[in-house]
Amino acid sequence: MSAVTQVNVLTTRSLREAWRTPEALAPTLFIPVFFLVVNLGQAGDVFPSGTPWLYGQNYAAFTLPSSLLLAASFGTAALYLVEEIEGGYFDKLRATPISRTALVFGRLGAEGIKTALLTAVLVILALPFGVEVASGPIGWLLLMVLTSAWAVVFVGFMQLIALVTRSAAATNSGGLVFFPLLFLTPNLVPRELLTRPMEIAATFNPVTYVMEALRSLILEDLEWDVLARGFGVVVVFGAIMVALNIRVIRNYD
Amino acid sequence: MSHLSGDPRLGDADPPTALAVEAAGLVKQYRGRGGTVDAVRGVDLHVREREVFGFLGPNGAGKSTTVRMLTTLMSITSGSARVTGIDVAAEPDAVRKQIGVALQEAGLDPRQTGRELLILQARLFGLSASDAARRAVELLELVELEDAADRRINGYSGGMKRRLDLASALVHRPAVLFLDEPTTGLDPASRLTVWDEVRRINQRGTTVFLTTQYLEEADQLCDRLAIIDKGLIVREGTPQELKAELRQRRGLDADPTLDEVFLDATGRTRERKAGEVQEVAG
Repeated sequence: MSAVTQVNVLTTRSLREAWRTPEALAPTLFIPVFFLVVNLGQAGDVFPSGTPWLYGQNYAAFTLPSSLLLAASFGTAALYLVEEIEGGYFDKLRATPISRTALVFGRLGAEGIKTALLTAVLVILALPFGVEVASGPIGWLLLMVLTSAWAVVFVGFMQLIALVTRSAAATNSGGLVFFPLLFLTPNLVPRELLTRPMEIAATFNPVTYVMEALRSLILEDLEWDVLARGFGVVVVFGAIMVALNIRVIRNYD
Repeated sequence: MSHLSGDPRLGDADPPTALAVEAAGLVKQYRGRGGTVDAVRGVDLHVREREVFGFLGPNGAGKSTTVRMLTTLMSITSGSARVTGIDVAAEPDAVRKQIGVALQEAGLDPRQTGRELLILQARLFGLSASDAARRAVELLELVELEDAADRRINGYSGGMKRRLDLASALVHRPAVLFLDEPTTGLDPASRLTVWDEVRRINQRGTTVFLTTQYLEEADQLCDRLAIIDKGLIVREGTPQELKAELRQRRGLDADPTLDEVFLDATGRTRERKAGEVQEVAG
């Protein structure tokens, strides 16, 4: 059985798992929408659609990337992994002659697909707020791909904590790392309008570049240099997370 | 068996048979904050093809650790192990193809149905989608779970989960089946069902390596057994040989039970304490 088929089989299983736990999926949809509404309610009048950096759209379009990144950063798959480790099913999978890489990619693949669908739903839900994807159908596609890729990076990080600690509490706490990262970004105003210390922090924060790439797709046309930075971040951090996950699974005792 | 030093070891005179599992000087050390723990301190094992081999020992004696090393789930600190002649450390994937594993926890995915779990397991062992579906039907029949096949596993009873776990270990018709305490926590009826299935599996030619804390289980099922205590094998032989040895050594009128062999081997005695008979360390 090829590694691709192994990944496919495991990804299907993880998707089925997600589909069968709608109670775990609901917050990943509700909370991002909640943030979108709250942010729009708080700052929508401060930054009307005439604001130059809104490119003719309203503030919901500016803040939508924060909601997308939030939706992509729940890392539920890592909690399922801890459950599997505690229940013994992970050992059952490890006792099969499949590639250790497939074990890692099975869950990551499912998280990517799930997030792509979630992104599409969130953007559709944002349309009544006056949001448009200015970069067109290709922009829609890139929006889904980039948000999914970020989800893979983040769940890779959470999965790493799960594999090392084998603890649901530690994995859950590890996920909270995302909140400082999300707020040390130009999530409310563009980077050049941040105070100097915040601007410096945002510049060093990789999430900034993913957010700016997503935002460029919504507000502007295809800005390839901005997109290259966003995709560059997910490629580099994705490679690091996958490599670390494979290493930990290979040495897992 | 260099660690037995003076303890009786039986069965050496039997004719040589092909070995399904062999271990030599198997050691597992854990390094933690409190220092190094020796979980297994040099285990030698010789399990013959097609036999049911019992691996007994008190809690924490090293049974599960040994099984985890033999099944590639845990690294070996030193020593060597071979399953069906394949080196466990050097060729773990080749070993995985030869073994079925049902561990203590009945590791199952509660969100899948019994049928889905077996199909997935079969696919991971390389069966095509149609062969996997066919094999799942056969196994569900074997463990008598046809009626529950399309129900999610989280609704199964403990006994049903054990039987499904057993079935999932058999999807690829393994040469050696490792069962780690397969009946722990089961009611007597479910325990008897599992025993029947183990016998049936063994009759079809599968070697069974079984760890258990139930001496009656070992007596009923095992052709030969080894007793491990504090990380070392302290007895090995057929149940009858072990009983005969103790009877002879102690000059008893009748054969002792396997419980008495176990207590003798692990240096434990049974004392009446506060009105109850309790097992205490000797």
